[in-house]
Amino acid sequence: MISARSARTHDSIASSDKRHIDMIVEARSLTKRYGDLTAVDAIDFGFEAGRCYGFVGPNGAGKTTTMKMVYCIARPTAGTLKVFGLDVCEQPREIKAGLGVVPQENNLDPDLSTCQNLIVYARYFGIRHEDAAGKCDELLGFMHLMEKARAPIAALSGGMKRRLVLARALLNDPRLLILDEPTTGLDPQVRHLIWDKLLELKERGITLLLTTHYMEEAQKLCDEVLIMNEGRKVDGGSPGSLIRKNVPAQVLELRVDLAAAGEAVARFPGMEHQRSGQNLYFYSRDAAEFDEIISAYPGAERLIRPASLEDVFLKLTGMEIR
Amino acid sequence: MNKGLLSVTPAFIKVWRRNAQVFITLWKFNIFPSLAEPLLFIFVFGLGLGSYIESMEGVPYIEFVAAGIIGTAAIMQATFECTYGSYFRMKMQNTFEGIISTPISAQEVSLAEITWGATRGLVNALLVLVVLLLMGVLHRWQAALVPVIMFAAAFNFAAIGVFVTSRVAQMEYFHFYFAGFILPAQFLSGTFFPIERFPDAVQAVAWVIPLSSFVDISRSLMLGRHDIYLLPEAAWALASTLIFAELAVRGMHRRLVE
Repeated sequence: MISARSARTHDSIASSDKRHIDMIVEARSLTKRYGDLTAVDAIDFGFEAGRCYGFVGPNGAGKTTTMKMVYCIARPTAGTLKVFGLDVCEQPREIKAGLGVVPQENNLDPDLSTCQNLIVYARYFGIRHEDAAGKCDELLGFMHLMEKARAPIAALSGGMKRRLVLARALLNDPRLLILDEPTTGLDPQVRHLIWDKLLELKERGITLLLTTHYMEEAQKLCDEVLIMNEGRKVDGGSPGSLIRKNVPAQVLELRVDLAAAGEAVARFPGMEHQRSGQNLYFYSRDAAEFDEIISAYPGAERLIRPASLEDVFLKLTGMEIR
Repeated sequence: MNKGLLSVTPAFIKVWRRNAQVFITLWKFNIFPSLAEPLLFIFVFGLGLGSYIESMEGVPYIEFVAAGIIGTAAIMQATFECTYGSYFRMKMQNTFEGIISTPISAQEVSLAEITWGATRGLVNALLVLVVLLLMGVLHRWQAALVPVIMFAAAFNFAAIGVFVTSRVAQMEYFHFYFAGFILPAQFLSGTFFPIERFPDAVQAVAWVIPLSSFVDISRSLMLGRHDIYLLPEAAWALASTLIFAELAVRGMHRRLVE
């Protein structure tokens, strides 16, 4: 089945541009409008096989809509989107056969047991029952859920449900795994387990595409991060290059009185900064440049740390709440 | 690419099987409550009210009303399944979203829901038929064909149900559907007395409701009647089923794959 699929994909790649031979996903001016609302506004991206890509951006930036278009449950309004070299509007069935999807909201079948959830889902991919049973054991083992095989979904914790959704997404040996906020709301143990498994899958050659609100997660997993804001792609690149390009290497975090906050910003006009209420963030290439500020506010809580993707995120998408 | 029934492949049966599997797990909760209404109808209309009515259209009242009770049982079950049931699977459990993330299409999910609703209707119709058989109400072998008609009736109403489900913004809108269409359909479709008793205008409306045709065909089978009027009735039953199924499948595709 896998060979038949790759053979078919190869045919269509052969007929398209040679330069895109390794592109698993390719979007050109991809746009999605819901009535007057433009959820995704003419974005371009291209994903190569075997790497991990992450969409980050504030809520409502268009990340989930973009993902849904990739897994063919939302139709683009304009532009083109190809997955495995196939058009999402023309051949969704062929595309979906090669995808694993972990949606933002768990959508396990509450009326079926853990194992039944996998068996029934395997059927949708045309996997034979005998193969599905073996696959079910293998994946429950992989996700450390073996002892819950017969448990009803209601008996699983949040972390277990998430792991089961991930196991379910692997039933068809996907070439591309799509994860919409895979670790939101999970405890650190489960988060680390999921990170470990995702990196293992990437090492096996599976392309990963995820969204996240955790910059630490994006930094840890992603080879390339796309920052979205209000439906548009704001910037993209490796986490390291995004940091180097957008913010100085050192950050001073300072918490001062509300009255002092505005004044503090005005007092050091030469230094890049951000403000969120009483919290001030100063950026500099050299931490020694912070000395003057620190001595001006001796009693203030402070922290000097290296710049992170979070700083890039806040700089590019703004501090205001939406 | 066709967005309607023609795009459906046999893969829709996999989704039907998912529903059947859940139904079997919960069968006790599913079978008994849905039989309460038809059994009550048999008791109240057939035996209670029926004891005051000597005959209707030349047969004992219970024999006349049998087709109506079976038909009502079939369409009510299909309607519940494809309105509240489908909506719950769609919005509360996100089951459909999970399924259409696989090679299964939204159209296949819709047809599976309709077929499943029809199956539930058929199961109910069969159970009521058995009760009527045990009561000695059925006299002709043609009654064995009634389940086929009832499956079609349930399919028709399941399709309307899925179409409505594809359009409602919230579950509460089903109250209007039940009050404005299902309840009238239940009583206006020649179920409990002949449609000819209504004023002409109401008769016209009553014949548009597909249940009227299904009930009349079933009644004719059970009572051994043959009439040329059954042909247009069968044609409308079939045509409306196809129309509603096509509308439902397209509506659901629009809703799920916005």
